[in-house]
Amino acid sequence: MKFDVIIIGAGSAGMRVASALQKAGRKTAVIGLGRSINEVEVRPYERLGGTLLIGDSVREGLFEGNRLTAVHTVNLGAYPLKADRFVIATGKFLGGGIVADMDRVYEPLFGLDVAYDEDRGGWFDASFGAPQRFLRFGVRTDAQSRPSMGGRTVENLYACGELLEGISAVDGREEIEKSADKVLAILTQADHAEA
Amino acid sequence: MQKRNISPNNFEQCVKCAICTDFCPVLKVLPDYPGPKHAGPDGERLRLKNALFFDSNLKYCLNCKRCEVVCPSGVRIADIIHSARDRYGDIHPSLRDRMLANTDAMGSLATPFAPVVNGTLGLGVTKSVMDGVLKIDHRRTFPKYTGRKFTSWFRREAASLQDAYFRQVSYFHGCYVNYNYPQLGKDFVRVMNALGYGVQLLDKEKCCGVAMMSGGMFDAARRNARINLASVASAAKEGRVTLTTSSTCTLTMREEYPGVLGIDNEMVREDILLAVRFIYEAIEKGEAKVAFRPDFKARAAYHVPCHQEKLGWGLFTRALMELIPGMELVPLDSNCCGIAGTYGFKKENYERSQQIGQALFDDIARVGPDYVICECETCKWQIEMSTGVEVRNPISVLAEALDLPATAALNQRTNFALKEVQS
Repeated sequence: MKFDVIIIGAGSAGMRVASALQKAGRKTAVIGLGRSINEVEVRPYERLGGTLLIGDSVREGLFEGNRLTAVHTVNLGAYPLKADRFVIATGKFLGGGIVADMDRVYEPLFGLDVAYDEDRGGWFDASFGAPQRFLRFGVRTDAQSRPSMGGRTVENLYACGELLEGISAVDGREEIEKSADKVLAILTQADHAEA
Repeated sequence: MQKRNISPNNFEQCVKCAICTDFCPVLKVLPDYPGPKHAGPDGERLRLKNALFFDSNLKYCLNCKRCEVVCPSGVRIADIIHSARDRYGDIHPSLRDRMLANTDAMGSLATPFAPVVNGTLGLGVTKSVMDGVLKIDHRRTFPKYTGRKFTSWFRREAASLQDAYFRQVSYFHGCYVNYNYPQLGKDFVRVMNALGYGVQLLDKEKCCGVAMMSGGMFDAARRNARINLASVASAAKEGRVTLTTSSTCTLTMREEYPGVLGIDNEMVREDILLAVRFIYEAIEKGEAKVAFRPDFKARAAYHVPCHQEKLGWGLFTRALMELIPGMELVPLDSNCCGIAGTYGFKKENYERSQQIGQALFDDIARVGPDYVICECETCKWQIEMSTGVEVRNPISVLAEALDLPATAALNQRTNFALKEVQS
């Protein structure tokens, strides 16, 4: 099964991109562990004909050179889901998009490059109201919103939402939505460029 | 240092977000029900301290698995609830519960006298007796029993023709196909034969056990599980996957055998597949070719049964149905139909069962399809009874949409046409 775009993560950023693309006539699928948001956003997406793999999660990505070609999910086993482009919007620590160990912070799905402070002592401030550094950690992207693995940009993968470096839900939804809209604009332009 | 919590059915992964509670269809109509979070992971903590914390209201759980599907932390909430009923529940199944749960026994008893049984079950007087004595709700329409079991038909009409095919699959037909609706099994055999696959029955097949679990007969379910898994394993050893046409049987054998019954099925889990998934993959890989009838035309609504949603394979059914030229497929909103197998037959659950299903019934009325496509037999009973709209299994739709002789010719490996099974 091949889609134009597969969106990994059914949070507000992922659903925003998915719904807009589906409405614009692209064939999309969303893979999301849990209905992280409510039916208000999910139902219209499904009625638009979008494919929602709810309760499923990506096990691994299949790469060819610097391109992601397909993903394997828990529910689909050995069956690969293919797409021309992918969007990753898996959130930060609570959503599991970013994981912190004792000595490092990493992105668990593909091992995307994450920006974080080497000095663990500065990760958080004991004072609750103070700005918390760890909330700024996240996946670093190029100007085209594309993350990298080991310094090499993944050419057809786009990141948005709280997963990103510098963005946190504590600042409200605006930054999250802006990052989603940026990916949306890039994806729509990319389609025009190819057409 | 132990880095991750390891707890039965992941219950320690619960972060108390309560999304499951929001999505529980029972809680929406029965506010006294503790709800999945409280009945599942929260209650489990208490029960581990003292079994007296077990709450008999857990029996109101439909086992629709919607809580598990929406859980962002991967907690198998429904499995926790049903394991708790097994472990702590002091369950003495009533005669009714035993009758509803023992699908094999009741089916074998009823099929020889099917016309009489069907006639009698449809009578108002029988319904009021069953309602009064057995507490089976009188408003429920009973599925008809068949006069000739699927297996009897298969052995007489189809079995001898199967070995001629160059590749083979096994078929777990389930109780519904065997005792109530053999036509689905016949459709399956005809479709698989046309695609170039011979169909074999399993060495031994028992009810998957879902109705027994629902009725609290966990040990009986375990006996069935062991027999079924051994049969699937012996088919796998001979190179055959086991295909099914029921989403619930599939989910039970793949997920609940380990999750609720504690029976390891790791060795054969991937050998149990819904036929729609197998067929779609075979077509996509080019291993099976299809020719459709040019005159097929239908506008159908697709209801993803809860257990199909939990398997996460609804996209295969949708993709397979969308291959059919002339098929206009409208996906319905994700809702539980409310029957949950034998749950909705019980007098104490009937009203609730219909209330839960109302959103789905309304949605079907909104779409106004020729028929509803659905992989679950009990959803079929519920939707047909409550909306009057016919429900078809995707395999039956495929049997109708395919030009079977032309498809058979495309998949033929012999230089003569194989004999077609007559249904």
